Amino acid sequence: MTVRTVRSRPPTRRARSFALALRALQAFLLLLVPAAPTPALAQLIGIKTVPIADGDQFNLFPSRNHGIGGISLALDDTLLDPFRNPASGARLGAGQFFGSPVLYSVSDGAGGGKTLPLGVFARAGHWFGATAIAAQQIEEVRERFPGAVAIDDRLAPSSGLDLADPPRHNVYAFGMLGRRFDERRAAVGASIQWAALNAVDGVDLLYAGSQHLAQSGGLLDLRVGLVKEWEGGRTIEAVAVHNRFRMTHDVTYVDWFWDPVQRTTVPRGRVEHNPDRTNIWGLHLQHERPLTSDGWRIGGLLTANRMSHPKIPNYEIMNIPRDPGWSNAFNAGLGVARTQGPVTFALEAIYEPIWSDTWSDSETPVETTSGAVIQPGGRIIENDFRFSNALVRMGVAREIELEGGASAATFQLGLAVRSISYDLDQYDNVQARARWLKESWVEWMPTWGFSLRSAHLEIRYAGRRTHGTGRPGVAAPPMGVMAPDAVSSRTVLLAPSGALTLDEVRVTTHQVSISLPLR
Amino acid sequence: MRKGRSRVVVASLALALAACERGGSPPEPGFGALDEQLRRTIANWGVIPILPVPAQEPALVELGRALFFDNVLSGNRDISCATCHHPSLHAGDGLSLAVGTGGSGLGESRAPGEGRDLLPRNAPSLLNRGLGQTYTFWDGRLAEHGRGHFVTPVGSSLPSGLVNVLAAQAMLAVADRGEMRGTHGDVDAFGQHNELAAVEDGQYATIWQRVMQRLTAITAYVSLLERAYSQTPAAALTFRHAANAIAAFQLEELTKVGTPFDRYLARDDAALTMDEKRGALLFFGEARCAFCHNGPLLGGQSFANVGAPQIGPGMHAAPPLDLGRAEVEDLSFYLFAFRVPPLRNVELTAPYMHSGAYTTLEAVVRHYTDVPLAMREYDVSQLHPSLRDRWHGDAATIEAVSATLDHRVSQQLQLSDEQIQELLAFLKALTDPAARDLSRLTPASVPSGLPVVR
Repeated sequence: MTVRTVRSRPPTRRARSFALALRALQAFLLLLVPAAPTPALAQLIGIKTVPIADGDQFNLFPSRNHGIGGISLALDDTLLDPFRNPASGARLGAGQFFGSPVLYSVSDGAGGGKTLPLGVFARAGHWFGATAIAAQQIEEVRERFPGAVAIDDRLAPSSGLDLADPPRHNVYAFGMLGRRFDERRAAVGASIQWAALNAVDGVDLLYAGSQHLAQSGGLLDLRVGLVKEWEGGRTIEAVAVHNRFRMTHDVTYVDWFWDPVQRTTVPRGRVEHNPDRTNIWGLHLQHERPLTSDGWRIGGLLTANRMSHPKIPNYEIMNIPRDPGWSNAFNAGLGVARTQGPVTFALEAIYEPIWSDTWSDSETPVETTSGAVIQPGGRIIENDFRFSNALVRMGVAREIELEGGASAATFQLGLAVRSISYDLDQYDNVQARARWLKESWVEWMPTWGFSLRSAHLEIRYAGRRTHGTGRPGVAAPPMGVMAPDAVSSRTVLLAPSGALTLDEVRVTTHQVSISLPLR
Repeated sequence: MRKGRSRVVVASLALALAACERGGSPPEPGFGALDEQLRRTIANWGVIPILPVPAQEPALVELGRALFFDNVLSGNRDISCATCHHPSLHAGDGLSLAVGTGGSGLGESRAPGEGRDLLPRNAPSLLNRGLGQTYTFWDGRLAEHGRGHFVTPVGSSLPSGLVNVLAAQAMLAVADRGEMRGTHGDVDAFGQHNELAAVEDGQYATIWQRVMQRLTAITAYVSLLERAYSQTPAAALTFRHAANAIAAFQLEELTKVGTPFDRYLARDDAALTMDEKRGALLFFGEARCAFCHNGPLLGGQSFANVGAPQIGPGMHAAPPLDLGRAEVEDLSFYLFAFRVPPLRNVELTAPYMHSGAYTTLEAVVRHYTDVPLAMREYDVSQLHPSLRDRWHGDAATIEAVSATLDHRVSQQLQLSDEQIQELLAFLKALTDPAARDLSRLTPASVPSGLPVVR
């Protein structure tokens, strides 16, 4: 048995060719849909194998730090922290009502969405809690494929096509309950986040050759958190999290057949049911303390995630169908912040080593080149990923007192840079071959923000633009068999199945949050 | 103390930036990329799965089977459809050039009768002839343009009501003197007058009427016809009905598309081996086969002069040469152009090309690697000894054929032996295992009582 190792060429340049990157997507796609679809970045570590634009669908809740790069280690974010660690809700002063509409768009018409979260924080004695709901609308982006062919919907009855527009709305609900233990300067809390999802942004672009996509499913995020404080401002936080993501993609394809009797091509619909299942268990520790007496603070974090993904969708652009797998992901980070008068500056860096193993199961007995037989359930192809990701965030905020200190305005600027780098060892157990791949790219996210705060109202605006990612498109429409011209008012866009590209896009997010104290 | 903390921060940043600096190398296709590439390539050539042929009426198939094997349809009662399209020979005859009425034997042992010549062209296999090809016969002289609209050499003589091109073909075969009808003065296998041969050329209605008279004189056929056409009065039955029954038999029994390639088209990635997939990529790519063999049937819908060796008596226009499609359409564009055959089950249907010049698939593939050279240096040893001196390899013929050589085959192909073997592997993946043994189709006897060729 000969094992041939194929190595990729040595690094030549940093410039990304998205079309080339998509080849990696096609071959090694692991998790394109965010594996951790919650705003709690630090507790759930996302995995990406291609520079695909995630969108900001799961950026639901208000934050004080979005405008300064999303800093989280050495600087409290009293608005967002309770959603990350329910025990940190103890830090909230009075109860408050909030709304934080979010609007994000992907350039070139490649996606977008609108979300309206509404919620309330409340306190009663030692107890505190929160509840929030959010309604969301995700844009349909299938028309983005160039060269789509319109076919007459009168073909639909014979072809089995489902022409109904799938729902594009999602609903989220969040609940949190916690208790302070003042004598111990500690608090504990638990939270649940639940979502009924009909649309995950960008997923329809991953089934490029499909005619119709209906998504359904949801997520469940359970957290138990602890916050402990010491004299001098030292704090430690711990969070245990379990996250379950369940989606099913009912994908309708149009297959063309030759009808020997009619001597013409006829369409037939074919529906594939692709489950997307990811389970995450995680532990997260975070420590924060003053560093000096002149406003410096330092924070650090350690996170461990164990992910299992028993079902990964059989994306059209993916040719290793239905790979199960697992991942162990970690991160460790350090951040500093300084508040000096009205100016706050923060900087943090997080390193994320991740090990991931996915494989392709055999559904039928497969004979290998050596003559051995891989039985059903055996591994045909194995992928071992080793990620070495890094995240650097920095930001500055300047507060300006207004009305003699009765209110204040704050301006924020920030930048987050995410570097993703991985090595892949891939083994083909059928052909007894191995290959190796190194891949990396960088995503840049400038942020900005403005807030106006008074005793009666707090209004915040935060913006973010992500550069360095892309969304799938199709390079060229197919040749050969074409559908009839559209002749009716209602037509179907037949997505082509030509070579896919990953076109660079920018994701721009705007969030306005309004907080009203409850008195 | 402060300085030390700064170093920690800087070290962390350096780690992050080091990761940023790692350049991205162009990724390579994954192991599954071959399928993706192949499917995309296949789609570019309009190659799509074929829907099942509707099940035919059993009584019609039974009648068609009897007729297909019965010599009574031939003027001399010595040849049936099956003689040149025999199940044991995968619905062909295994000969380079067909042997028509007056001949004897089957397969390689078949030889023309005394004083008779070979027919000018190879008898193509009837496998999958019911899949909706536009053209049939090597020169496409029978074509179906739109359902039921035939262009034929017999013009308006062809009756309406023929279900498909197979039925039309059956009508023509019995009227062809060389193939089945016989020539003036012929006597049949029993020494009796051949009343079909006595009909003047062009009197097609009379020919078909007389064939039908033969059939209705046989009690068993009357019974079979009644069962097959129970709603049609006996007096209204014509040879068109018999032809439709022959077509039904062919559709039912000679449609064989259960090939590994068809399973692959049905999204079964494991249906083809790696060699077959690589061969398919060559077929639809570098080897340029798909330039002609494309569409759902991998051919069958166009004509090309591929430089096939000229062998045998030739056709009417310029014997001993065969001008191919130009015999039908007087266009220089079609000189020496022949129908591009569909390729399913091609492994089983040797010899190949209109003249049966090549007896193996490998010889065909090698022909296409350098067509001008293959035309000049054709190896006659692969022909039956009786044909070797009937290859028209003179310079004038080669030059004439070369003059209109299809540009799609005029370039040399730089194919290695390994690639040729991969191409052959793919071509063999076009074989339906059910087509390998069709012997069950041959009946023990036929209603006329005439011998059944085996």
